[in-house]
Amino acid sequence: MSPNDKKRQADFQVIARWVQPGERVLDLGCGRGVLLEYLKQKKSIYGVGVDIDLDKVICCVKRGVPIYQGDIASTLATFPDKAFDRVIFSRTVEHLEAPDHVLAEGLRVGKRVTVGFINRSFYVNRLNLFFKGRQTINEVYRNPWYESAPSNPFSVAEFEDFCHARKIVIEDRVCLSGNWRSECAYLPNLLAGYAIYDLSSID
Amino acid sequence: MNDSEQAPYFLEEGEVGFVEYQDFLYPEPFHFVSGGSVPELTLRFETYGHLNAAKDNGILICHALSGDHHCAGVHDIDERKLGWWNFMVGPGKPIDTTRYFVICSNVLGGCQGSTGPGSINPATGKAYQLDFPKLTVQDMVKAQTLLIDSFGIDRLHAVIGGSMGGMQALQWVIDFPDRVGRYIALACGARHTAQAIAFNDTGRQAIISDPAWQKGSYDPDNGPNLGLAVARMMAHITYLSDVGMETKFGRKRRHVDQSKEYFDVEFEVESYLRYQGQSFVSRFDANTYLYLTKALDRFDLHSPDSLDTTLSPVAAQGLVVGFTSDWLYPPQGNREIVEALLRIGKDATYAELAMDFGHDSFLVRAPKLYELIDQFLKR
Repeated sequence: MSPNDKKRQADFQVIARWVQPGERVLDLGCGRGVLLEYLKQKKSIYGVGVDIDLDKVICCVKRGVPIYQGDIASTLATFPDKAFDRVIFSRTVEHLEAPDHVLAEGLRVGKRVTVGFINRSFYVNRLNLFFKGRQTINEVYRNPWYESAPSNPFSVAEFEDFCHARKIVIEDRVCLSGNWRSECAYLPNLLAGYAIYDLSSID
Repeated sequence: MNDSEQAPYFLEEGEVGFVEYQDFLYPEPFHFVSGGSVPELTLRFETYGHLNAAKDNGILICHALSGDHHCAGVHDIDERKLGWWNFMVGPGKPIDTTRYFVICSNVLGGCQGSTGPGSINPATGKAYQLDFPKLTVQDMVKAQTLLIDSFGIDRLHAVIGGSMGGMQALQWVIDFPDRVGRYIALACGARHTAQAIAFNDTGRQAIISDPAWQKGSYDPDNGPNLGLAVARMMAHITYLSDVGMETKFGRKRRHVDQSKEYFDVEFEVESYLRYQGQSFVSRFDANTYLYLTKALDRFDLHSPDSLDTTLSPVAAQGLVVGFTSDWLYPPQGNREIVEALLRIGKDATYAELAMDFGHDSFLVRAPKLYELIDQFLKR
């Protein structure tokens, strides 16, 4: 497994800790279906993926993961309230066109929502911007801006502000340090490379 | 762990080669959903590959409206046309005849050897014509189960079909959930749109208003050929896409304009459609066309209960494929099937292919479609 694959799977163990055996899980922006396959093996879940890219869909078919090829927002709209035990956004929210609306939809369709994201205000990013006036380019941010798809990165603090503003309940939070492995309990907005949230809505 | 294939995905392929059709005779009365019956039933079919000892490697392929039982190989050395899905069926192809025992039968109500309106009613010694019972997709599937029984197959590995064949695949997993492991439905829908019904009825009217139709009791050698050809020409347009037609024909002309109007073939596309109409007449029965299009118009998984309720018996794993340029069975109609299946907790996948060939895209050899079906059957 390459370092990049390890990073890609940084949140798997944390998510598996939160998922109960046999749960119904919807993974939005599921990519090649690796997380769902992992959860199926570890927790015998009924998992469904959503992705817009046909090549990713074919990979999911190969893995035996049910997948719906489509846009996340319009797919969520087809599900009734609380159709899933858990809706997962793993490195997906920063690519959404209307994150506020889609997260609200996720909370409507899922009893719990898991959000995993790269913390934009990690100190390395701050230092690069402060001293060099440039975005970080490393194994996480691999391409310069002109070779990257539009994205809308945010920080741990910004995400929690959003949860408070929308009255979203943070049931649990795990922040990982810069290596994306060890947990980071201290000053996560500055020191965490990656953050994973277990959310629910007030009903 | 880069499992995305960049190079075109084709396997080491062989060919099915020479094939022969067979006739399955069911000597008992067959009862239709409508209440009507026929005293006996024949289904013409072909098979490719071998049934294993456990009898669990059977794949049933269901053909579309104008298709038949001949989906792979050739009948003899002079036959120029391969079976209609030859690129998909054969040794090393996605529907791999070295692994699977593949069965394709002409549908009940058809005119390529199976019992249909043009068949002789043993009770009267004359063709059924309009005495043939009202037909549904459910009847087609029920007849296919008799053929599958005759091989001693309890459970098929898969049922696969496009368009009308996709509807049969869906009906199979609804009516016989214990008998199918997985299904693939391509370019289909849970029911016809008003537009699809409208096109079908215009085709039917072309046949019915041809004086040679004779209220369905025409002599087979002297049928409503003009009406049937026009019906086919119009239907054929609905199987293509505007982009596909523009690319293939554009405004290409056959010959220079003359001073007088003859309404003869002027544009390439006219020549193509007229040829399609004429060649269809030589191989298709007008009454079968009426019966099959009606069965399709009536097919409705939203009725009498909701789509979610209708699909609730499904136990098989499903793959539904829509095509972006298909305006007869648009992607949305394919999507809603999978949306319903996922709502009720079934194992179903929806994939959408961007191809320019309209409804007929599923009949076109495309690397991604090939890969998708191969992976789904293999997993």
